[in-house]
Parts: sequence; C-alpha cells; structure tokens
Amino acid sequence: MKRFLWLIRREIWEHKAIWIAPAIVIGCLVLLVVTGNVHLGPIGTFDDSTPLGDFPRDVQVKLLLIAYAGLALVVFMVMGIVAFFYALDSLYADRRDRSVLFWKSMPLSDAETVLSKFAVAAVVIPLVALAGAVLAQFVVAAGGSAKLAMAGMAAGVMWQPEAILGGIVIALLWCVTAVLWYSPIIAYLMLASAWAPKGPFLWAVLPPVAVWVLERVVLHSEYVGDFITVRLFGLYKLLSSSRSGTDDMSDADVGAEVVKLSNIDLVGSLREFYASPDLWLGLVAAGLLLAAAMWVRRYRDETS
Amino acid sequence: MTDLIVARRLGKSFGTTRALDDVNFSVDAGRIVGLIGPNGAGKTTALKALLGLTRFEGELSVLGLDPYRQRHQLMQDVCFIADVAVLPRWIRVRQLIDFVAATHPKFRREVCEHFLARSDVKPVSRVKELSKGMVTQLHLALVMAIDAKLLVLDEPTLGLDILMRKQFYETLLNEYFDEERTILVTTHQVEEVEHILTDLVFIDRGRIVLNAAMDEVQEKYAQVAVRPEHLAAARTHKPLAERQGLGRTHMLFRGVRRADLERLGEVGVPSVADLFVAVIQGARA
Repeated sequence: MKRFLWLIRREIWEHKAIWIAPAIVIGCLVLLVVTGNVHLGPIGTFDDSTPLGDFPRDVQVKLLLIAYAGLALVVFMVMGIVAFFYALDSLYADRRDRSVLFWKSMPLSDAETVLSKFAVAAVVIPLVALAGAVLAQFVVAAGGSAKLAMAGMAAGVMWQPEAILGGIVIALLWCVTAVLWYSPIIAYLMLASAWAPKGPFLWAVLPPVAVWVLERVVLHSEYVGDFITVRLFGLYKLLSSSRSGTDDMSDADVGAEVVKLSNIDLVGSLREFYASPDLWLGLVAAGLLLAAAMWVRRYRDETS
Repeated sequence: MTDLIVARRLGKSFGTTRALDDVNFSVDAGRIVGLIGPNGAGKTTALKALLGLTRFEGELSVLGLDPYRQRHQLMQDVCFIADVAVLPRWIRVRQLIDFVAATHPKFRREVCEHFLARSDVKPVSRVKELSKGMVTQLHLALVMAIDAKLLVLDEPTLGLDILMRKQFYETLLNEYFDEERTILVTTHQVEEVEHILTDLVFIDRGRIVLNAAMDEVQEKYAQVAVRPEHLAAARTHKPLAERQGLGRTHMLFRGVRRADLERLGEVGVPSVADLFVAVIQGARA
C-alpha cells in the first residue's frame, strides 16, 4: 500500500497539470470576483439590478445552487480535459523519454504501475476536481457577500447552508457519477497510451472515427456513432431525463424559471443512472481494457 | 555455489534473422563477465532475455527464476543500467532517491548519498539539468546502493568522455564489486573493461564463439612479436591473426607451447580487442 501511494506521488510529480490547471481556474475566478465582473448562473442573476435578497428564500437557495453547480461544472470540465490528456500520456511518456527501462528495473509489477496510473485518473484527479469545485464555491460566496455588503444589502444570503451544502453534495454526486461513467474511456485511453508506437492521441482517436465513418459510408447505419455519442454525452441525457418541467426559457419571471430549472429530480435520475445497463457494461469494459493495458505494458518489447 | 545464470539452447528470431541461435552459457557468482560482440551480434537481445524484457526460445534461468515469467521477483535482486540516458528527465534527484528508497527493499539510502556526496549532483536538481556525466554518476550511485546479486550493464559508458569512463569502472570495481556479486557488462570499448573482467564471452551472429575465464584465455592465447627471420617458422604454428608492426609481425597463437613461441620473438598477452578480432574472423571463415 505504501508502495502504491509512492507510485501515485510519482505521477503527481510528473504531471503537474493535475494541480496547476485547477489552480489557474481558481485564480481566474478570484480575479473575476475581485474585479467585480461576476455574473453567475444561467440567468445572470447577481447583477445589481435584481438584489438576491428580494427573492423568496427558496428561490434564493435555488439560484445559489444553480450558480454553485455551474461553477462545479466548469471545474469538472477543465479537470475532465486534464484527465483525458493524463490518461493518454500515462503509459506513453516514459516510453517516449526512454525512462521506461529505468522504471522497469525497479521491483514493481506492471499491473501495479498501470493501476496506480488509473487511480490517478479515476480517484486523484476527481478528488482535486471536487476540492476545486468546493473552493470555487467559497470564492464566489465570499466575493458575492462582499459585493452585496458594499451595496448595503444583507451579505449572509450567499452563505445559506442549504445552498452551500447542496452545492457540495451535487458536486460530489456528479463527480462519482462521472468517474463511473467515464472509466471505460480512461481505460481505453490508457490502452492506447500503452500500445501506440507514436502519437497516442491519433492512435486513440482515429480508430473509432474511422470505424464510424466506414459504417456510415458502407452500411449507411449509425450504430458506432450512436455508441460513441452515448458514451461521451449520454451522461447528461441519463441525468437529465427525469427532470420535471420544461426547458423553454421565457424571461418573464426569472424566479419561476429558476425554480423550474432547478427542479431536477436528483434522486430519481441517479436511480435511473445506476440501474442503466450501459453503466455496468461500461465498468466491465473498463476492467477488460485496463487488463489489456497491463498486458501490453508488461509484454511490449521496449527497445526494438 | 550454483550457477547464477544458466542458458540452454537460448534462441530468438527477428523475422528471418536469428538474433540468438542455440546459445549455451552459464555464469557463476562473483564474476565480472564481459559480453562482447560486433553490432547486431545479439548482445542486447541476450541481455534483454536475461532481464525478462523479451520473449525467447530455450531455457533460461537467472537466480533460479524464469526471467520472462517472474520478472518482478527477479528485479528484487537484479539491477540494470540499459543506457546512460534512461533516467526520467523531469524528476528531481531528491525525488528519485525518495522513490527508489520507498519502493526498492534492497536500496540503502546512505550508500547512495555517500556516492553522490562526492559528485557534483545536487539533490534539488532536475535530471534534465544535469550533464550526461552527472546523470551517469547519479544512475550508478542509485544502482550501487542496491544490494543486488546481479548487475547488468548494457553499454553503460556510451557518450561519456574518457575520464568519466575510467572513473566509472574504477568505482564499480573498487567500491561495489565483491565475491557475492556478479556483473555482466557489454561494451564496444573493450580496452576499458579488459583489466576488470574475470570472464570473456564473445558473441557473433547470434552464436557464442568464445566463453572462457580471463586466466584461461591468458594461458591459451599468446601474442608474439615475430622477428622477420622467424616468419616462416612462426606460420607453421598456424597463427590466428597476423598484423604488421614496426620491424615485427604480431601474431596471435592459440594453444602453442610457450617455449616454442619464445624462440620466435617476445611473447605477450594479447589484448582483448586483438583476440576479439582474431576469434570473430576465425569463426566467420
């Protein structure tokens, strides 16, 4: 276990983007808050024209929740990109700089090595993302409070526990869900990374695209395309399918609209998500792809 | 003491070329073996097979283990330097030592730090900031601090200047090697290793053409600076090689009585390089 933690540590030393990327996001956010340019949420609520405190309390909470969840989403998207490139690089970087033979001279099994890299993509990066999301939330809450206070309004509204805690819970649920949903993609990228003779990005991206195009041209069908689309974007669909209410935005009544928007049946959609065979098949696929990555890492002839 | 390495009918093909062709050899503990051969002779393939980095035909046992199937157990007691340039460039010296100390059960940190203290390598430096010589010093310090039974060096001094090469082998011989350890080294710079080797293995075109202890070699082979008047007589002893020198013809003999040779000219010990050329040419003829 101690060894495994050192392997993970090694990854964080090498791949600095894991902490630099979220640091930049938070830094930008702080800058925006300090310069007073924050217009948060899908409806641009915190401009001074509509004081937050004028809304009923439950609408206040929902407005804040949407803002906080939106922040989490931004952090998660950035960290998703970080995880993508990390996985793609994870088993290729040391082959490129030839240090793989040094790592292989250590008494560590290739399975351990591959698992530690998967753990970075599927546990460490999501944890950093989660921490970043929570931090972003606090930055905006603090900034918003300052702004409200300066305008002579009650600053406490930004810190309503339901909103703060709710934001954290939503971020946590999204985080876990996204990791489970995208783990086969992580494992697939790692396999490409272990296998590619050069340029793992192309080796990872071109084959599925080629199969998709070929299927369209030859068979005029879209099975592969659908499969890829579902895996890449299906998470959103799965999570939003049980949303109640409509999506059409009329700017007549901001408050009512927000209530509608935030009336996502979180528990229901999660139940649906965990019951979906796509999730479980994906996890099985992730296990197989990871095993394949270990095999390639172990038996690939590095020097010829 | 059982043999440390035993290879029986070891083989490996790349397409139609036989990189290793029914190779048989064994290495005892406490030896320094030089594996010497021309480019493409199969040296690196043989080392890779020993280290479990490549598949092979035949039987191979290293420290009683099958290197291909039991690679990661094997690495507890085997160290190798594949090439000087293989340390990860992004890592800091301190991090590298921390990592090896935490993951290698036989690593002795104080030994490593003792070696590094004499070099210009600073713990805060990144590997990419070090000169090639410093990277080698670092790698050697790491490897010598591991209490391994077998150390494999594949062209360890490639790209180093002559001072560093000399220093490298001196440190290895004086501060690392003892009866418990075995070193297997391949190199093109034969002159630099010949005085530290205890055993010689010549390999050419995937076959072992010579496998002998150094003292055996010195007994069996002799180099004679033949005076011109003895040329004809000398040739009756079938020299393996002839080379024109200053007023003398240098001939390499195998298994000729010393007394007979001394009549022809001054008798000396052949250099490994001369021996190598003669043996390889003889094997190819």
